[in-house]
Amino acid sequence: MPSSEIHRRSRIDPRPAEAIDRSAPVEFGFDGRRILGFKGDTVASALYADGTRVFSRSFKYHRPRGLLCCSGNCPNCLVTVADEPNVRACTRPIEPGLEVRSQNSWPSLGFDLISLLDRLHWLMPVGFYYKALHSPKLLWLLARQLIRRVGGLGSIDINAHHEHQYSTRNLHADVAVVGGGPAGISAAMVAASQGAQVVLIDDQPALGGHLRYSSQEVTAATGSEPKPAAQVAGELGDAVAQIPNIDLLCGATAFGLYQDNLLAVLTEDGVVRIRARHVVLATGAQESPLLFDNNDLPGVMLSSAARRLISLYSIRPGKRAIVATETEEGYQAALDLLDAGIAVAAVVDASETTSDEVVQTVRSRGIEVLTGHRVVKAEGRGRVKAALVAPVGGSGSGSTRKIRCDVLCMSGTRNPVDALLHQMGASQEGVTLAGQINGATGLLEILGQGRGAGLHAAGSVAVPPGNPVQTCQTTESTIYLPPGVGGRTYVCYCEDVSAHDIEQAIDEGFADVQTLKRYTTVTMGPCQGKMCGRALAEICASHSGSAFGIGGGDTRTTFRPPYQPVTLAALAGRERMPFKRTALDRVHRDLGARMVESGPWLRPHSYGSPADECAAVRERVGIIDVGTLGKLEVVGDDSGQLLDRLYTHRFSDLPVGRIRYGLMTSDNGVILDDGTVTRLAEDRYFVTTTSGNADVIEEWFNWGNAGGNNCAHVVNVTAGYGAVNVAGPRARETLAKLTDVDLSPRAFRYMRSAQGEVAGVPCLLLRIGFVGEAGWEVHFPAEYGEHIWNSIAEAGREFGIAPFGLEAQRILRLEKGHVIVGQDTDAVSTPMDVGSDWAVRFDKPDFIGRGGLAVATERGLQQQLVGFIMPGAVAPDDGTPVLSGARPVGRVTSARLSPTMGRGFGLAWVPPYLAVEGETIEVLVADRPVSARVTLEPVYDPEGHRLRS
Amino acid sequence: MSFLLPCPNCGDRSVNEFRFGGEVVSRPTPDASAEAWSSYFYFRPNVAGEQREWWNHRYGCRRWFYALRDTTSNEIQATYWPGEQSPATTS
Repeated sequence: MPSSEIHRRSRIDPRPAEAIDRSAPVEFGFDGRRILGFKGDTVASALYADGTRVFSRSFKYHRPRGLLCCSGNCPNCLVTVADEPNVRACTRPIEPGLEVRSQNSWPSLGFDLISLLDRLHWLMPVGFYYKALHSPKLLWLLARQLIRRVGGLGSIDINAHHEHQYSTRNLHADVAVVGGGPAGISAAMVAASQGAQVVLIDDQPALGGHLRYSSQEVTAATGSEPKPAAQVAGELGDAVAQIPNIDLLCGATAFGLYQDNLLAVLTEDGVVRIRARHVVLATGAQESPLLFDNNDLPGVMLSSAARRLISLYSIRPGKRAIVATETEEGYQAALDLLDAGIAVAAVVDASETTSDEVVQTVRSRGIEVLTGHRVVKAEGRGRVKAALVAPVGGSGSGSTRKIRCDVLCMSGTRNPVDALLHQMGASQEGVTLAGQINGATGLLEILGQGRGAGLHAAGSVAVPPGNPVQTCQTTESTIYLPPGVGGRTYVCYCEDVSAHDIEQAIDEGFADVQTLKRYTTVTMGPCQGKMCGRALAEICASHSGSAFGIGGGDTRTTFRPPYQPVTLAALAGRERMPFKRTALDRVHRDLGARMVESGPWLRPHSYGSPADECAAVRERVGIIDVGTLGKLEVVGDDSGQLLDRLYTHRFSDLPVGRIRYGLMTSDNGVILDDGTVTRLAEDRYFVTTTSGNADVIEEWFNWGNAGGNNCAHVVNVTAGYGAVNVAGPRARETLAKLTDVDLSPRAFRYMRSAQGEVAGVPCLLLRIGFVGEAGWEVHFPAEYGEHIWNSIAEAGREFGIAPFGLEAQRILRLEKGHVIVGQDTDAVSTPMDVGSDWAVRFDKPDFIGRGGLAVATERGLQQQLVGFIMPGAVAPDDGTPVLSGARPVGRVTSARLSPTMGRGFGLAWVPPYLAVEGETIEVLVADRPVSARVTLEPVYDPEGHRLRS
Repeated sequence: MSFLLPCPNCGDRSVNEFRFGGEVVSRPTPDASAEAWSSYFYFRPNVAGEQREWWNHRYGCRRWFYALRDTTSNEIQATYWPGEQSPATTS
C-alpha cells in the first residue's frame, strides 16, 4: 500500500510550512509493528498520524497518557529508542529502521495490569511510603520489591553496544542568544549587524518559535501587509542563515547558565560549552495546562500541541475539539483547528474580559463561545470523550453542561521560560531578556525587544531600548484554581501528584514550597517543573493567609541545571585531548609496533616478542625511543640553587659534564618524580623527568621559582628534543661508527655526558643505564629523529641490533630493581621507603621535602619496597596483595617473568620486619598463595659491572 | 565551577584553563618542630570568605600567580604576581 494511502485518514492537505517531506516515506518499528511516516516526522507525529493516542503510562498509577506539549517539555511521550530509554518521542526525528518501544507498562501499553494501582490510589496518598509499610518488617521488604518493580521510568540495557560517540566542544562568542523565535532571531541579527560574533541556540529543528505553528496572519513590520505567521517564521530563518557571523545551533538545548555567562548546550553530538560576553534570553513563554479532573486523559493537550500537529505535520488532532482557555490565544487555536477541518464544539473561556472583537470573530465562524466558564472534568476511559463545563464560581450541579469532544485543548496563561535566568541566582550581569519571557505580547513588540537586546548585547547601547523591567506575570487565581480539589486533578504529570495531594501536604505542615517539593516530589520529574510550576505556585499562593505568604514565602522552587534531562553519555563525552606522538612515531608503525597509551603519549609496547627484545639488549644491542622523557633546561647563575631547593640531592656542586640522579619530593616527603640532572655548563643544566610528567614538573619548577629574584629560567624542551637509548654489550661499537666522540670506557665513563655529532647531527650523549647495560641516551633535535634512528639501526645491523619497547624496558629495569615513580611508588612513598636514602642530603640548609623527610626519619620506616623472586616461572599480577601468615601485609607493584633467570620476580611493599634478605613472603598466583623469597639486591648484575663496562 | 579568572598576563580566561595551587601558606623554617611541620602539611584555614591562593595558567602562559578569591561566591578581588604587593584594599 502506498504511503499516501496509509495517511489519507489522518493527514490533511499540505500546510504552508509543514516540516514533512511527503516524497520521502520512512518506515520504523513501534512495539513490533511497522509504522510509516515521512521524513521530517518525529516519532510522536508519525505515531499520532497512525492512530496512536496512548503514548506512555504514568509514573505512579500507570494511567494512560497521550501527547500533551508536543515540544519536548512534558513527560507524556517518553519511549525507548533502540537501547536508549526515556527519549521524548515528540522531538526525536524518525529514521529508517528505528526500533521504538513503549515503556513503563506491563504487559502492553494499551492493557497495563499495573494500572490497577490507579484504582487503589486512595491507599497511596502523598508521601505514603513515609507513613506506612514500616511494620511488620516483612511487609516493607515485600512492598519494597513491588515498588522497585513498578517504580522508575524506562530501563537501561546494560549489554547494549553504544555506537554513538559524544564529544565535548567549546565555543566563544560575543553574544549568545537562547531561543530562536522572533525575539531571539531579531536580537541575533541586530547584534551580528553590529559586528558581534553570535551563537543562536534553539531546541526545535527549525527557527521561528511560536510563529512556526500558527496559521494566523501577523504583521512583522509597522505598516507592512499581514502575512501567515509560518511564512514569517520561514523568512526570518532564511535571513539568519545568510549571516556569516551567526553560528546556528538548532535542535540544541541550553540546559545550564553558569557563572560568568557559561552556557551548557546539549546537541546531538554532545555538550557544547559556550562562553559568551553577553547572553540574550529569548526563551519565550510556555502555555500552561489547566486544572480540572482527569486533565491527563489522552486527547487533553495544550492548544500549542494541537497547532503543532496541524501546522508542522499536517495532522488532524481529532474530529471534534473543545478549547479551554484563559487568554486570546485559545481563540486563535480554535480558528486554526477550524481551518484544518476540525469541528470546534466550543471555546470555553474562563475570563470574562476578553475583547468583543475576538469573541465575535470566532462566533462569526459558527463556534460557540462560553465566556466565564471553565472545564471542571474530562470524561472518558483511556481517551477523552466529553468535557463537563460550568460557570466560573458556580457551584450548583444544575449549571454543569456536558459537551462531547475527542480533543480537549488547554490554553492556560503563558508563563515566562525563565529557568536559565534563575539558575544564576542573584548575579544576572551580562544577561538581557527579550520577547515573551520579558512580558512582550504582540509580534511587533517582541521584534522590537529583540532588536533592543541585540544592540545592548553587542555593546552598542547602554540600556536595551524599549525593554521594560521584567514583570512577573500575574494570574487571576480565582479563574485558574478549580472550585474543589479533585484527587484526579493533576498538577504534576511526571510523578502523578494531584492538587489534592498538594493541599494535603500543606495541611500536614509542609508549608514551604521547598519542603513541599521534597515531600510530594512535585517538580522533581523529567519535566523539572515546566508543566507543574504554575499550578504549584498558584496553589501555594492561594494559601496565603494560612501557611504560605505569612513570611513572604516563595512559591517557586530553586532552579538548578540541567533545565532538560541530559544523558550521562553526553556529559561523559570525550574532551578533545589529542595523544602525543614522538618524532619516531612513523618508524614504530612501519616496524609493526603494538602501540599503547602511556600517560599522554602513544608508545610502542613491543615489536613482537618482549622476551626476544630483552635478550637482544642483554646479549647484543637494543634501541628504544625515549623521546617521551620530560626534558627541561634550567639556565642562569642561580640554576644550581634552584635545583638544590627542588631536589633532595645536591646539584650546585655537580661538575660540568657530570650526571647525577635526582629525586623530587613534595614538602611532606612523598616522591613526586625522578630523573637525571646533567650539568651542561656552569650556568646550564639539562633535566629529565618521568615520561608524561613533563608538564606537571615544569609547573613544579616554576612554582619553586616563582616570586623570588633568582636568575634561573626553566625552559620545557620536551617537544624540541627527541631521544633514543642505545644499550647492550655492542652499544659502544654501534655508536662508535657514527660519532667522533670517544666512547671508550676510560674516556666516557658511567654518569658522564658529552656533546657531539652522531650521524652528522648535533647531539647530547648521556651515559646512563636504566636497563642495566652499558648504554647511551642520545638526545637530538626532534626533526632529525628518523635519520638518527635509521642511522643507528643501520650501524648496529652487523651486531644484531633490535628495537625494544616499553614492556621489554620494564622487565629489564625491574631486573635492576630500578623504581618507576607512580608504578612502584604511591601517595605516601618516601625516598627512604624505596631505599634511596643516599639521594637525600640533609646537609643542605633547606629543600622542598626537608621538613617532611625529617619527620618521616624520626617516625621510622612503616613500609619498604623490596625485590622478590618466585620459585618458578610464574608471577603475580601487579597490584595483588602480599601475604604473611595468611594475612595481607603489603602489595606487589611490578612483577614479570625474568627472561634471564627464567623465573618470576618483582617489587613489592612489605613491612620492615619482612624486608630482610632471604625472608619468605607469599604472593597470589591465580588466587593461590605461592611463597617467594625477599631480596634486597637487584636480580641482575647487582654490582653494576655491566652497567659500567 | 565556571567563573572567569583574570590571569595577570593573559586577562580573563575560563577557570578550566588553570591549575589550582591551593592556599598560600607560610612555610616553617627548616628547624621548626615536627608539630609545626605537620600542621603545615595537613591543616588549612579553609576560610569562608576571601582567601589568597596559588593559580597556574596551565593552558596559557603557564605562569603562577596569586588570586584573592571569595570562596563563597568565586568572585576574584585581584590577581597579581608573587613578590608584588597585594593590590586589593581589604580589611
